[in-house]
Amino acid sequence: MLQLIRKDLMLQKNTLLIMLPLLVVYIALNASATILSGVLFTIAITMQAFMLDEKRQIHILFNSLPYTRKEIVTSKYIGVFCFTGLVLLTILIANLVIHGESPTWKELLFILCLTTLFFSFSLPFSYRFKSQYLLFASIGTFAAYLVVINVFIPNLHDLIREVVAFLLAMEQVQLYVLVGCALVIVYILSWLLSIRIYEKKMF
Amino acid sequence: MENVIELKQVHKSFPNFQVKDLSFSVKKGFVTGFIGGNGVGKSTTIKMLMNLLQPDAGTISIFGMNYNKHEKEIKQRIGFVYDENVFYEQSTMLDMRSIMKSAYAKWDDELFHYYVKEFELPIKQKIKSFSKGMMMKASLALALSHHAELIIMDEPTSGLDPIFRRELLDILHSFMQDGEKTIFFSTHITTDLDRIADYITFIHNGELMFSKEYYQIEEEYAIIKGATELLDRDTEKEFIAIRRSNHGFEALTSNKAQASHLFGDSVLLEKPSLEDIMYYTKKGAEGGAAINT
Repeated sequence: MLQLIRKDLMLQKNTLLIMLPLLVVYIALNASATILSGVLFTIAITMQAFMLDEKRQIHILFNSLPYTRKEIVTSKYIGVFCFTGLVLLTILIANLVIHGESPTWKELLFILCLTTLFFSFSLPFSYRFKSQYLLFASIGTFAAYLVVINVFIPNLHDLIREVVAFLLAMEQVQLYVLVGCALVIVYILSWLLSIRIYEKKMF
Repeated sequence: MENVIELKQVHKSFPNFQVKDLSFSVKKGFVTGFIGGNGVGKSTTIKMLMNLLQPDAGTISIFGMNYNKHEKEIKQRIGFVYDENVFYEQSTMLDMRSIMKSAYAKWDDELFHYYVKEFELPIKQKIKSFSKGMMMKASLALALSHHAELIIMDEPTSGLDPIFRRELLDILHSFMQDGEKTIFFSTHITTDLDRIADYITFIHNGELMFSKEYYQIEEEYAIIKGATELLDRDTEKEFIAIRRSNHGFEALTSNKAQASHLFGDSVLLEKPSLEDIMYYTKKGAEGGAAINT
């Protein structure tokens, strides 16, 4: 299975060589949006790796090689952390070198949490349908979001900002443990669901 | 003789098609040709052999093991070739080599480079620029470089020019030399099998027609040609299908000895090609043994 993760990193070599310097430039230009840039770059890189393997022929290849379907899915779930790690490392180093200060560990942790949450939903969705439909799903979610902020909760943005600021300001270890555990459970459930979906696929 | 592949009463249903009660085996050390027309279940069967599809009922055992418990062990020992490109189009042979190398415990770089040289493959060129023939050679080089004991191929010769088809068969022939290897391949170009196959497994509409040794088919089947007057309700029963024309009839029998005994010198007995067998079997299965032309 490690071979599968290594394969993803190898195939994403060129993407990483373009995206990570781009992230550095972004950090140099705009230091304030660490969380947003971290999440977006992680999603872009990881989804690129996922989409490359989405072709029917590539599924046939890996299912014909001595890998189980469980391993193929699991490698993607672990791969998410590899790509997130690379992005976090880039953010950390770029901030230290360019701005002379590192982002807070809470910010980095927040990026990790958000990407984990994103992939918990998007991976099973992509295995069931196709990642290209994620765009439609996102547009749908965005439309729902617009309706919510316009009709139901006009100050949703402020609320989110407050919640984020509140979470980042929290010192209570217990809360972190709670959020962390919840995310781990969601991620594991998502992983099990993806395995179930993938094992039923026909190529 | 040891069986490398064993299918027992395998059943797989799709909305418009089904593979029914399929049972056959593939012997170790031989080449088995898997024949049948388009859309009769050859690819479905091959996909089940590779565990890309799971049968609804029945058992498939490979090297005496089943996929539920020994998926990785089985696949370590299989080399596969498909009729379409299953590799990353943007990658090169070198990239694919490292992917395959990390997957197979017995990957042999020396052997890989031998095949690359033998097939004159450009290892640094992107796979998407390969011609159909080069693509097939690339698939073969990647399939043969991990000392696989069983090679499973789905229509490897389709779309290839006759010269390369013959080259491919030579390659497979030399691969079989040590007697330990087994090849199972599907094709609808039956002339390929004359050169290489020891056994023929024939399916039609998802059902097994026969699985026999090549020489046995030659002994049992015959094309009978004669005058139409020889045909009546009783004699027609001898045939799988009959083709009538103004000049007489032509029919296929699966019992050459009996037909010969029945008609004696009044008819002409000819050796059928596999194509003849496929053609008449299809006609026979489509209802009624008679075909009028």
